[in-house]
Amino acid sequence: MTMVSTPSPAPVAWYLAPPQESAGTSQHGIAGAPAHHGELLQGVFAVDGELRRALVSLAHPGAGTVATFRPQSSPGLSVTDASLTKVRRAAELTMDELRALPTAPAGGVVEIVSNVPRGVGMGSSTADVVATIRAVADYHGAELPPHTVARLAVAAERASDSIMFADQVVLFAHRAGRLLETLGTALPPLIVLGCNTGADGVDTLEHPPAEYDEREVATFGVLRAALRRAVATGDCRLLGRVATASARLNQRFLPKPQLEVLIELCLRHGGSGVQVAHSGTVAGLMFDARSPDVQNAVHASTVELERLGLQVTTVLRTTTDAVRPAVRAR
Amino acid sequence: MTIVVPFPEVTAAEEIPKVIRLSHNLYALSFSLMKLIPARYILRRAVADGRIGADTVIVETTSGTFGLALAMQAAQLRRRLVLVSDPAIDDRLHRRLTDLGAVVERVRGEAAVGGYQQARLDRLAEVQAERPDHFCPQQYSNTDNPRSYALVAEILAEALGQVDCVVGPVGSGGSMCGTVAFLRSLTPDCVAVGVDTHHSVLFGHPDGHRGLRGLGNSLMPQNLDHRTFDSVHWCSDSLAYQATRLLHRRHSLFKGPTSGAAYQVARWWAAANPDAVTVAMLPDDGSRYQDTVYDDGWLRDGGHLRPPLPDEPRPVSDAGDASGQWTSFAWERRTLDDVRAVAR
Repeated sequence: MTMVSTPSPAPVAWYLAPPQESAGTSQHGIAGAPAHHGELLQGVFAVDGELRRALVSLAHPGAGTVATFRPQSSPGLSVTDASLTKVRRAAELTMDELRALPTAPAGGVVEIVSNVPRGVGMGSSTADVVATIRAVADYHGAELPPHTVARLAVAAERASDSIMFADQVVLFAHRAGRLLETLGTALPPLIVLGCNTGADGVDTLEHPPAEYDEREVATFGVLRAALRRAVATGDCRLLGRVATASARLNQRFLPKPQLEVLIELCLRHGGSGVQVAHSGTVAGLMFDARSPDVQNAVHASTVELERLGLQVTTVLRTTTDAVRPAVRAR
Repeated sequence: MTIVVPFPEVTAAEEIPKVIRLSHNLYALSFSLMKLIPARYILRRAVADGRIGADTVIVETTSGTFGLALAMQAAQLRRRLVLVSDPAIDDRLHRRLTDLGAVVERVRGEAAVGGYQQARLDRLAEVQAERPDHFCPQQYSNTDNPRSYALVAEILAEALGQVDCVVGPVGSGGSMCGTVAFLRSLTPDCVAVGVDTHHSVLFGHPDGHRGLRGLGNSLMPQNLDHRTFDSVHWCSDSLAYQATRLLHRRHSLFKGPTSGAAYQVARWWAAANPDAVTVAMLPDDGSRYQDTVYDDGWLRDGGHLRPPLPDEPRPVSDAGDASGQWTSFAWERRTLDDVRAVAR
């Protein structure tokens, strides 16, 4: 097991590329954070003899949140959308963390712009919270390491996804805010066809945490071992098997109505497997982007999904190259 | 990135099997003493949740490697251990057990039904009655036995990813049923090939004398889930001994005769399925068998050099057919009752 500390990730998409026209004399802080498309694996894992809830998020580079922080001379913090209470809490905690800096203002206002669907398990809340923490830090001229962002995010929203470790594949204790294991620097090249299996959204925090039995906990250890290999060797098929097994193991807690149909469909078209949001409703059909027939497979699967009454809501491609700054498509 | 760290105790070190490539699609899973896995898991869990207290005596019936594994773990846990065994217990094993502090009780004669195994169970019941503060690991029925093999599935999953077939000896059912069940969470179509010996009741033979020890059983263990197995092979003692020597000569793997039996079946299966990643479970090393399986004179005197190793098993249509040197049966993940119903 390793604990690797890395610099904060370079921007990859519009939500990560702050339009800093007035760099150097900035009157505000601005930063982004990506969404995810559920998890590759989520469960309870034995780590140093203790059982810990943890997950491996599947980051979604095509969706995210941009947060802007504007300072105020009067004390107090507000959010332009007052319903975003976790955002306010995250900003307060970050202000507290950076209070000693000479740049610290008395108070401020946070504004959130996001294209992440809410209540489907795509991490809209964590994207908001992490973008906010980074925006407040940005105003202070500070760069917070991912571990600190993780700690603040969990303090703000009780459980967070692992998107603050954007350029790594990590097993993350989402309730403790602790990185348990770095599995690798990147996923193999995947195309994930995302769809929403639920008519209604789920309040992810209100959903009770799954209670796994001993057998299931032991199985998660096997899946973690397979995931290590899948990431290390770039094995899409094995990655799909891990995600499918994780989705099946969690069916008794928050069932995806057509999971077995999706798995059968995906495998029949040469896909690797199905990943789900373990505390949401989205599911993704995973395909090896290096496979010569992948475009046909994706097309045929899309047509079949629609026949089942399921719209493809998003197409996700994993970023396998080193992330490049200032790729903006707004 | 991982770094090498010390093992907390010898059993933690010795329970870890090594994955060794034998051919392009055949891998050995080589244990020095496989039974350490259930022994360590069962005893440590029982200590952790209070079923084994400071003065609790651990009691079990065994003449084989499970007893050795219990003795090693009990010594590390500083607990007393009473083992009920056959009179025919291997003398070297007996010395090793007593050196580890275990009390070995030998039963005098066979029971009318169930042979020595039943006689041992009867004596075990008496030992338990004499000692109210006792803990019996019960490897044949304790579900911690199969569950402990998640460790093995983890190692295979990390080393090989997808495993298409596991071939292994069956005695309690724990290692094969446990390992394969965990692997199937990842790879549902993973094939399980059980290796038994003629006149073992596990897969439907009538009970009788068995020359090959360390696999098979005279009683049906609860931990054997027959629905795990796609096919079952029965190997004679002579076949297992010759294959054990072949494994040593060809791959320098110094293992016991149950390993030889598994190797023989696995290399045949891997050759017949060249695209399938095949794993042979090799449960213990050869040191206990130096005066027997590894002694040409002993093999010759016992008539174990003939007939030579066959190229393939003889498929049988009746799982109860207890004749032959190497037989196989398409079990197809059925229950024993289902297999018997078809035979009728």
